[in-house]
Amino acid sequence: MVLELQKPRPIWQIMFSTHHTDVGLLYLITSLAFLFLGGSLALAIRAELFLPGSQIIADSMTFNRIFTVHGTTLIFLFILPFASSVGNYFVPIMVRYKDMAYPKLNAIAFWMIPPAGALIWLGFADFTWYATPPYSIISAPGPAADMWIFGLKILGISSVLGAINFIVTILKCKHPDMSIGQVPLLAWSFLSSSLIILVAIPTFAAALLMLLTDRLGVSGFFNPAMGGDPIAYAHLFWFTFHPEVYVLVIPAIGMMYEIIPRFSRKPIYSHNSGIFAFVLLSIVGFSSWAHHMYATGMSFTEKTVFMVGTLAAVPASAMHVFNFIATMWNGRIKFSTPMMWAVGGIALFFSAGAGGVANAAMPLDFTTHDTYWVVGHFHLFVMGTIAFGSIGFLYYMFPYVTGRMYNETLGKVHFVMSFVGTVIVFFTQHVLGLYGMPRRIFDYPPIPEWIAMNQIATVGAMIIGVSMVIFLANMIYSSGKGKLANTEDPFGVGGKYYYPFEAKNPSH
Amino acid sequence: MSHDNSQVYRTSSSRVGKMMIIMLGICIVGGVIFFSMWDYWISTPAPVVAMMAGGDDHTAPAAHTGDTITQVLHFIESPDFRTLAFNALPGDPDNNPTVNMNVGDKVIFNVDNAGKSFHSFGVTSEDEGFGGVIPGTEVAFASNPLKPGEGGSSEFIAGEEGIYYYICTVPGHRDQGMVGQIIVGDVAAPEPVVEAAPIMEMPAPGVIDVEETIVEPTTEPIVEAAPEPVEFNGVISLPQGSGTPGCDETNSCYIPFNVSVSAGEEITWSNDDSAAHTVTSGTPADGSDGNFDSGLFMAGGTFSVTLDESGEYPYYCMVHPWMTGNITVN
Repeated sequence: MVLELQKPRPIWQIMFSTHHTDVGLLYLITSLAFLFLGGSLALAIRAELFLPGSQIIADSMTFNRIFTVHGTTLIFLFILPFASSVGNYFVPIMVRYKDMAYPKLNAIAFWMIPPAGALIWLGFADFTWYATPPYSIISAPGPAADMWIFGLKILGISSVLGAINFIVTILKCKHPDMSIGQVPLLAWSFLSSSLIILVAIPTFAAALLMLLTDRLGVSGFFNPAMGGDPIAYAHLFWFTFHPEVYVLVIPAIGMMYEIIPRFSRKPIYSHNSGIFAFVLLSIVGFSSWAHHMYATGMSFTEKTVFMVGTLAAVPASAMHVFNFIATMWNGRIKFSTPMMWAVGGIALFFSAGAGGVANAAMPLDFTTHDTYWVVGHFHLFVMGTIAFGSIGFLYYMFPYVTGRMYNETLGKVHFVMSFVGTVIVFFTQHVLGLYGMPRRIFDYPPIPEWIAMNQIATVGAMIIGVSMVIFLANMIYSSGKGKLANTEDPFGVGGKYYYPFEAKNPSH
Repeated sequence: MSHDNSQVYRTSSSRVGKMMIIMLGICIVGGVIFFSMWDYWISTPAPVVAMMAGGDDHTAPAAHTGDTITQVLHFIESPDFRTLAFNALPGDPDNNPTVNMNVGDKVIFNVDNAGKSFHSFGVTSEDEGFGGVIPGTEVAFASNPLKPGEGGSSEFIAGEEGIYYYICTVPGHRDQGMVGQIIVGDVAAPEPVVEAAPIMEMPAPGVIDVEETIVEPTTEPIVEAAPEPVEFNGVISLPQGSGTPGCDETNSCYIPFNVSVSAGEEITWSNDDSAAHTVTSGTPADGSDGNFDSGLFMAGGTFSVTLDESGEYPYYCMVHPWMTGNITVN
């Protein structure tokens, strides 16, 4: 199966195609471009924090602009489009339909991303990816701030259109012989994350409009000087964006569900518990948003409710981890590059989850709130779990997309360096937070422990940076000149694609 | 894929090359636009800033018919950043020099940021806030301020007699002391402008000496200023508008703001404002002391507490730190 080229055609035909694999390829290339753009901003941030004082970034406003665009880019322009890419390639095939349900809508959803990315990148706003009011209303300079708001607005519409497409494709276009319970877990992950998007995004869409009208001065929802309340924005924002972290992580878990049985040469341990855990996660994701706001003066009762609601996500996540481990148990595991990324991702998922339980416990949260602990926790999830699952899946789909194999040795070097680097950066940031370093700061006092840990983190980030250069070189070289892949079985694990409903894997 | 029997085509080097050229081309074009307009993107304040600052009903710049005065101003900050001033900290004769001029005179302000924070400069006729800046008198803007070490100059021509103020237009900095007077013509000197300072003042231990002249009217003196409890019937109201700075000047953030009760008597606060507030024991300067805390309670909400030990219980609103009150338990 070569997904990109049904027949050789000029590149512009791919660009204006509505076929799901072509749109998937566009999503893929766009998301990788933004991965490298956003990642280089991360390196700039880490390099600046290597020493106290100002070294390579001129002033704090530039620093704020850099970390705002870094966060916005990697969340909205790398992780989400990458997941859409995988969904576009695989969901129609998995539900045995010829294309997405609405091909034109699919292409429109993709083509909203480049203009939104351009708005965010040209403006380079400075109010953090949270768009902190009242700063974002009365102080953040335009037009950058307004461009960011419009960019996010467009991305929200794109997400909703994509979500509608996935839901209809999976529920209405699946093969009549296949029951909903037989739909592979990767497709299930897109179904549950799309449902979250449909419920969660409208709230943020409203909050963005309110932010814009507040900036224009026609309303004062979040403007204290006009009787508004910035805390209201926090509720609206986190009602969307706590579920949104499950939108980010669920497809990555789905990708691991595709990789792990394949390279363990065993069927998934429990298909039904995977489905159950996805559904559970997408429901309990809505019961935890205010755990981001323990320090805003909520009552004890509210805090307790949201603490319990947050901890409710633990059983669902643990079911996935158990499912992965039980699948690998007694399997004949082949540690090719995708499998290494998936297993590394599980390990870091567990670590990040353990830190998350500490955060969610309301008394401990007051110690970690707004410190580097939070930065470490969040990045361990986003990089360690989501990006690891995504990059592993990129290696996995590479031979199917290009018809060629990547360089296995470089792939493993990439994994080892990224894993080591990720642990160094983000574990250290947890400790740094416990030492009291606040997040979002440009300069810090020369406390010896802070300097030492910041330098360790920067070294780790540079290791990741080097590994990403290796990755880029590997991808570019291999897609043009790599050795030809055996598209029936590129990884030499025996048998064909394993699907639960087919059970055609001859290896067991 | 088992059901896909189509012929296998593979990506070639030239196709990858074309795709890379397209991507790089987009990045280069975008990068040129981006970096060449780097400062433009953050050049405009949000429209709401102008609205909050007041109308643009100022008369056109007056004609320059008289003398030219040059005034050099440095933005400076106390080491703890709580007190801001021009040229010298309060207490020094050079602090916030007053400019005397006549109608038609022109003042050239040469300002530079000698501090570590961001500042911007402007002249206004309004006696509080950061609005009403007369066009042409600005040096930088609050949204794109002077960074440390930067400077600039501007001109102010007085069109009519009166008191004008030169201020730091970064919101809040005027309240922290960055304001000086411009007296045009023969106008009676008004009360010292430093009176505006205590609003946002949160004196820290160790800086009291420096600030003695301006710190006086903080929480405690306010308490003494109106010691008689005003018609307290068990309910303290948070009136409409207490979410806006200014209610502290008339002690009307909590009504009545100073209450005497006997031990064991229940005190209730009623939020009659449209914004959410807290009633938190302690002072804005030192934070909560843990005696009682309402948490955030919404418009229309109430909060009650019963105090059993006698003593003074100052309290404030964590969201709006200018809101302070006091309870005396006998």
